[in-house]
Amino acid sequence: MPVKNSQKIENNSRLLKEVSKDLIVSLKDKGINEGLLFDIQISFEEALRNAMVHGNKSRDDKKVKIDTEIRDDEVIISVEDEGDGFDPSRLPDPTQGDNILREGGRGVYLIKHLMDNVKFELGGRRIVMSKKLKK
Amino acid sequence: MQIRIEENSGVSICRVKGDIDINTSPEVKKFLEPVIRGKKNKVMIDFSEVNYVDSSGLATLVEVLKNMKLYGGKLKLVSLSSKVMGLFEITKLNKLFDIKTDENSALSSF
Repeated sequence: MPVKNSQKIENNSRLLKEVSKDLIVSLKDKGINEGLLFDIQISFEEALRNAMVHGNKSRDDKKVKIDTEIRDDEVIISVEDEGDGFDPSRLPDPTQGDNILREGGRGVYLIKHLMDNVKFELGGRRIVMSKKLKK
Repeated sequence: MQIRIEENSGVSICRVKGDIDINTSPEVKKFLEPVIRGKKNKVMIDFSEVNYVDSSGLATLVEVLKNMKLYGGKLKLVSLSSKVMGLFEITKLNKLFDIKTDENSALSSF
């Protein structure tokens, strides 16, 4: 039976860790290996950080909507902000040329490498990502 | 997260314990500010007790490296876990940073 969870949280980076920890504990209970847990934790927290900092512009009157679904063989995570959205196709590759010296711009790149499927919806306001769970 | 610095053979060794992430990377940055202001030439960051680094942490490290390069300082990262090293490899930051497997090889390479 898939375990679904839906919540809206305050736009506060301190909550980011708590929400992420809850998901990781649930996955740990299923016997998911440490490497996969690390990939999922990084990706989830990067998505939350992007939503809070870039989407919601760190405004405390905004919220972040989170939906997670843990299936037997897959986890699906959706993170949605209340910002103006963005065009993910215009994100520069942080590994190319002088971009490597830029301080930012690695969050989405990491997510795309660590998760199996990543898509943006609602004009970039929502990211939906999934990862196959191998025990 | 805990952070402290010690000197060994003219090298400033920064030992970090805990995660370097959105909540703690400002502390790391602040902690290393005097090192950069003092234009320390040889700096090593010990990752042996760091299990997690996010993109904020990577950004902070890039900023520290850039600031050190302005005065010709050398920064080495040591004892990264395989998971953290994986993040440096994905982002190709392993080519930007001088990463050593252990402290002795880092100390002898300055």
